[in-house]
Amino acid sequence: MPAVIDKEKCNACGVCVKICPTDVYYGSKPKEIPVVMYPEECWHCNACVHDCPQDAIHLRIALNMQLVYKS
Amino acid sequence: MNDARLNVEQVEADVLCIGGGPAGLCAAIRASEQSAKVVVIDKSHTLRSGDAGMGNDHFMCHIPDVQGELPGFFNKIGKMSQAVTKTFWENAYDLVKLWDSWGIPMKYEGRYEFAGHSIPGYPNFMLHFSGQNTKVKLTKQAKKAGAKIINRVMILDLIHDNGTIAGAIGFDVRNPKLLVFKTKAVILATGKCMRLFPQNTGSLFNTSTSPVNTGDGRAMAYRAGCELTDMELNDRWSGPKYFARNGRGSWTGVFRDPNGIQIDPGNEMPAHFYPELHENYQKSGRGPLYMDLSDISDEDYEYMKHFLIHEANTPILDFFKEEGVDPREHPFEFMTYGLITPGGINYNEKCETPLAGLFAAGDEFMSFYIAGAAVFGSIAGESAAAFAAQAKPLDEKRAQIPVVTAKELLESVLNRTDGATWQEANNAIQQVMADYCGLIRSETLLTAGLEHLRRLKKKVPQVLMAQNQHELMRCVEVLNLFDIGEITFVAARERKETRQYHRRTDFPFENPIIGAQTLAVKKENGQPVPKWIMKA
Repeated sequence: MPAVIDKEKCNACGVCVKICPTDVYYGSKPKEIPVVMYPEECWHCNACVHDCPQDAIHLRIALNMQLVYKS
Repeated sequence: MNDARLNVEQVEADVLCIGGGPAGLCAAIRASEQSAKVVVIDKSHTLRSGDAGMGNDHFMCHIPDVQGELPGFFNKIGKMSQAVTKTFWENAYDLVKLWDSWGIPMKYEGRYEFAGHSIPGYPNFMLHFSGQNTKVKLTKQAKKAGAKIINRVMILDLIHDNGTIAGAIGFDVRNPKLLVFKTKAVILATGKCMRLFPQNTGSLFNTSTSPVNTGDGRAMAYRAGCELTDMELNDRWSGPKYFARNGRGSWTGVFRDPNGIQIDPGNEMPAHFYPELHENYQKSGRGPLYMDLSDISDEDYEYMKHFLIHEANTPILDFFKEEGVDPREHPFEFMTYGLITPGGINYNEKCETPLAGLFAAGDEFMSFYIAGAAVFGSIAGESAAAFAAQAKPLDEKRAQIPVVTAKELLESVLNRTDGATWQEANNAIQQVMADYCGLIRSETLLTAGLEHLRRLKKKVPQVLMAQNQHELMRCVEVLNLFDIGEITFVAARERKETRQYHRRTDFPFENPIIGAQTLAVKKENGQPVPKWIMKA
C-alpha cells in the first residue's frame, strides 16, 4: 500500500483526503483516520506526505516501482 | 442490479474553465479580472492536481536583459502555428513577472537562472524556477480574483446552443450528483492524454506525468465537432527506470554503460534528448545505461536536489534516503517510457478553437509546457471573457443539453453488477494501441487493429461497471481513451510516411511534401474522418 498513515500521529484533519490528486482516500469519513481505498491508483506524487501537518504519512514505494541501482 | 440515481443540479456562470491546472487557473484569473463570472472545475483538487501538482522547475521564456536579444532564434521553437509561437515568446516574460508577484519564486538566489533542460552551444531558454507550490499560489490568486472553484467534478460533455458551445454537463466524483453548467463560454484546460499506450512500467498508474490526465478535453471537443490535429505524431520520454517520472533534464549527471564508459549519442546533444537510447541499449545487450552522478561537486549536487524537489521528484530522492543509498555512489538506471500523445486541440493565438464559444489552452496541445499553460491560459481567459460579454444567454428550448443521455449512461454503469471494471477496459485499449498502432505501424496492422478497437468500443459502454462515483470517473476516462484511440488509428492510417515515432513499415521515409501540412481528424456522421490542412 503506497500511502501509509501513522495512526498515532494522524489527527484526522482530512488534508490528505481533500488534496489527493487521484483520490486514493475516496470514502474516508470526516474526523476519522483516512482509509486508503484505492492504493493501486497512487501516483506516488508525495502531495499527501508533503502537506500532512502531522508528518503522519509515508509512501511505501511499490515493489514494481523500486529504482534499479548499482551496488 | 443497484439502484443508483443521480440528482441534477445547475450552475450558471459567464466562463467555465474545465481543468484547474496552471492553464485553467491562469484563465480563471484573467477572465475574472475582466469582470466575468468564472467557475473552475477540477476532477481532483486544484491545490495539487495534475502534472504541476507537486511542482515544475523549468519555464520557457526569453528575458532580453539576461539572454540578450536573439533575433530569429525563438520563432522556430514551438510545435504550433507561427502566430501561436510568436505570441508565446512575446508574452512569456510578462507571465514570469506576474507569477513572481504572486509568490511563485521565479528567481534563484535573487537572479533569473537559465539552466538545465538545455543544449550546449545554444541559447538556453529554460528559466529554472522553484515551482513546488505553483498550484497553491495560483489557486489562492484565482480565488482572490473572484473565481469560484468546484473540485471533484468531472465534465462528461459540452452543451451546444445553435452552433455555439454554451456550457457542459458533468458529475460529482464523490457524491451522486449530475451537474449542468450553463455558461456563455468554455475553456478546455484538461492537460495531457496518458493511459492510452502502455508505459512499460508494470501498472496503469505508473506514468511519467499525471495518470488521471486522460485526454478528457480532447475527447469532449472531438465529440462536440472540433477537429484534433497531429494525433498520430506520438512522442516518447525517458526517466528513472520503473519509477516513471518526468524531469530527466533536471538530473545533471551523465549516462554511462555497465563498464563506466560515458555514452554520447554522437553529436553535441545531451543524451537526455534521446529517449530511446535506453531502450536501444537494452535491446542491443550492451545495457543497461546508468545515470551517474559521481563526478558532480557537493555544491552542484545540492543545486540539483533543490530543483529535483521543485520538479516533483521528491519521492525518488526519498527512496534513496530510505534505502540508505547515496545516488552519487550508486548509479541508477534510466529507461524509455511508452508512447504519449502531444497532438490535440490546435488552438490559435487567441486560444480560439474552430467551435464558437470554445477556447483551449495549455496541454490540450502540448507545445510550451508550463510556460505555455501560463501564457495561453491567460489569453484564453481574456478571449473567453470578451466572448461571454457579447454572448446571448443560453436558450433553454433550443440548446442541446444531454441530461437524459448522460444520466442514462452514468446510471447504467453505476447500476451494473456484472461486467467489466475500468482496469479491464483500460488494459484492452492499451493492448490494441501498443500492438497495432504502436512503434510498428502499417496499413495491414492499422486496419486489423482499428477493426478490433471498434468492436471493443461498441461493447465498452454496455459492460463497464462502477461501484461508486470514483470508479465512475475512471470508467468515463476510459471511454474518452477509446475515442482518442480510434482517432489515433484513423490518423495513423492516413499519414502514409514515417515521421518521428510514427513509423510506417510500408512507408519508411519522411515525405517532405507532407511536412508542409497538418493532419486533422473531425467527427462526421459519427465517425472520425481525416483531413489534410496547410500549416498556418
